[in-house]
Amino acid sequence: MPGFDFSNFNRNSALHARGVPLPKATSTGTTIVGCVYDNGVVIAADTRATSGPIVADKNCEKLHYIAPKIWCAGAGTAADTEFTTALISSNVELHSLSTGRDPRVITCMTMLKQHLFRYQGHIGAYLVVAGVDPTGVGLYTVHAHGSTDKLPYVTMGSGSLAAMSVFESTWQPDLDKQGAITLCAEAIKAGIFNDLGSGSNVDICVIENDKPTQLMRNYEKPNERGTKERNYRFPRGTTAWLNQKIISKEDMKKYVTIETLSGDDNLAEKMEVDS
Amino acid sequence: MADRYSFSLTTFSPSGKLVQIEYALNAVNQGVTALGIKATNGIVLATEKKSSSPLIDPPSLSKISLITPDIGMVYAGMGPDYRVLVDKARKVSHTGYKRVYNEYPPTRILVQDVARVVQEATQSGGVRPYGVSLLVAGWDEGVEPEVESDDKEKPSGKTGGILKGGPSLYQVDPSGSYYPWKATAIGKHATSAKTFLEKRYTEGLELEDAIHIALLTLKETIEGEMNGDTIEIGIVGPPADHLLGYEGVEDSQGPRFRKLTKEQIEDYLTNL
Amino acid sequence: MGSPFDINGGACVAMVGKDCVAIACDLRLGMQALTVSNNFPKIFNYAPSTYLGLTGLATDVNTVSDLFRYKVNMYRLREERNIAPQTLANLVSSSLYEKRFGPFFISPVIAGINQTTGKPFICGFDSIGCIDLAKDFIVSGTASEQLFGTCEGLWEPDLSPEDLFETISQALLAAVDRDALSGWGAQVYIIEKDKVTQRLLKGRQD
Repeated sequence: MPGFDFSNFNRNSALHARGVPLPKATSTGTTIVGCVYDNGVVIAADTRATSGPIVADKNCEKLHYIAPKIWCAGAGTAADTEFTTALISSNVELHSLSTGRDPRVITCMTMLKQHLFRYQGHIGAYLVVAGVDPTGVGLYTVHAHGSTDKLPYVTMGSGSLAAMSVFESTWQPDLDKQGAITLCAEAIKAGIFNDLGSGSNVDICVIENDKPTQLMRNYEKPNERGTKERNYRFPRGTTAWLNQKIISKEDMKKYVTIETLSGDDNLAEKMEVDS
Repeated sequence: MADRYSFSLTTFSPSGKLVQIEYALNAVNQGVTALGIKATNGIVLATEKKSSSPLIDPPSLSKISLITPDIGMVYAGMGPDYRVLVDKARKVSHTGYKRVYNEYPPTRILVQDVARVVQEATQSGGVRPYGVSLLVAGWDEGVEPEVESDDKEKPSGKTGGILKGGPSLYQVDPSGSYYPWKATAIGKHATSAKTFLEKRYTEGLELEDAIHIALLTLKETIEGEMNGDTIEIGIVGPPADHLLGYEGVEDSQGPRFRKLTKEQIEDYLTNL
Repeated sequence: MGSPFDINGGACVAMVGKDCVAIACDLRLGMQALTVSNNFPKIFNYAPSTYLGLTGLATDVNTVSDLFRYKVNMYRLREERNIAPQTLANLVSSSLYEKRFGPFFISPVIAGINQTTGKPFICGFDSIGCIDLAKDFIVSGTASEQLFGTCEGLWEPDLSPEDLFETISQALLAAVDRDALSGWGAQVYIIEKDKVTQRLLKGRQD
């Protein structure tokens, strides 16, 4: 990201000063959680994206890739979680390539908090960062203003209270892998069913040492829509139209301005390349 | 003082030559030989890992580098200049492409970006040209669907491109010019290696054959002993999903570029 | 003063069918309650079988459609190939997010078929570039709430191009008839692997 472009900022602030409301961004309302266990860490998320009271996406992805063994769950402004994690993922990859070492969770968390602190909370990303690295298992939360926490189990987003109630009542030390997965799924379901900003399915990501990270997209689907008993298909010819234009494959080729020359092998040799 | 050297050090001689670039090429031609061969299903990059002293710690030396998961690079010439270019190539593949399109650049685009960096050093104030030639090998997915199987039998004369996809191999010189190759060599014994490759190269070569030819070519030019410690091989082959490090992401594919381990190289050498 | 998204009015919808996609928009351009034009298409073509629909503030619709015309032309010159729908989606996303703190007042929609895989692709965005990947349909504009209703009710999987045309047309016409700021005719594109059919729909002119 070369940085932000503020060219519309003055126009939009002038409009805002005259009482124009700010555009509503897609928010991930969201329940996200994370939990460490004996040999790794599990993070989980619901899959609802909202725009005000409207459900904008019923099955969105809130678990973001940072590195093979570092993943991030995002709540808050959807675009901010998406781009902040992508930016840090990009920098972590370049860093790991130039050092020749596996990236560390704490490095990634520090890069995220410094980026978010620099923007003073205007980048609305609330994240759960989890992973394993040579120093062990890591699980952190990062708030939009740049503060961080390190805990054995964490929740964030509008459904964090519902999810935390599950952790506080049923979490116990020395969880095994399946125990952690089930606990996280239960916590997300508490958010899905009790928080209006969260809904649809449960996504889970398990990161453990010496094993590929497992992303379990739609690990549970407790809210599948029943199939329609009848269809509402319209008979062909229902819609009146005034005129039509058919763009065929040949017409489409007109868009393509570059054509491959004939497969004559000598062609390239005829073209002198300066030495 | 800054303004004193703010002019380009690369200036035309009266005969129209840029001698600084020719000197840079001389540095390349003193460098250790590196070569690349394009096969139908991949590419091989190979070079000799020559150490100036027996006391040097070999694992710390690495001449073939991964740039993106599907693109690798090797050099002949000045090591420090190469390291700078590797960093810049990796960085530009993110800032100039991945952060815009959320995908890695096709090989030709990356080559052009690296070539621009190299060219700028021939025209900017206070800098000298890079003293390296590069071989860049990469695989592109291509935007046109796979051709029917009956066409596949015929080896095509194409050098590989973005439309068709497949392997491509480029050379970048200190002047900033770049060339697509089927097989080539750079460095000290480039001429004799290229003559050897011209004899050995055939259309429709498979990756395994290309690795074999690469080792034979190296053997012609190598000065010391050939073993897993003294040569380095990088290949662009089928996607290595086991190297991805995660599972369950739709449409994800493992890296195509990887370096052969010492053991893998020695296996190839015993079968030579 | 109202939201910039509601000044000019307009609606756009995209749907997935079997080996085809459709994208449709209304044709109204208004200034609040006054209709200025009934011929303001909101769908733009950027490559064979790749279309972008833009609703929202009309001045930004023009600016952004021209901006992507420039960006896609540069892409085609640089890469000697057409942009794939997924790639265009990421380009739109990163371009909108660049203006995170001064966004365009638009809600883009992409519909297309990937020429390599032959797979249909649709997606939508908020004004700061968050991608909404959907397997069924995407709606945008002042009639988006009505469109959510009609599409949830009428859409079904694996519609043929002919049936998809009827479904998307009826979903759009029904929605814009309940939105004072949208309507005045509509344009529909049915996109198949090697054929695109563009139709002008007869709609209410009130």
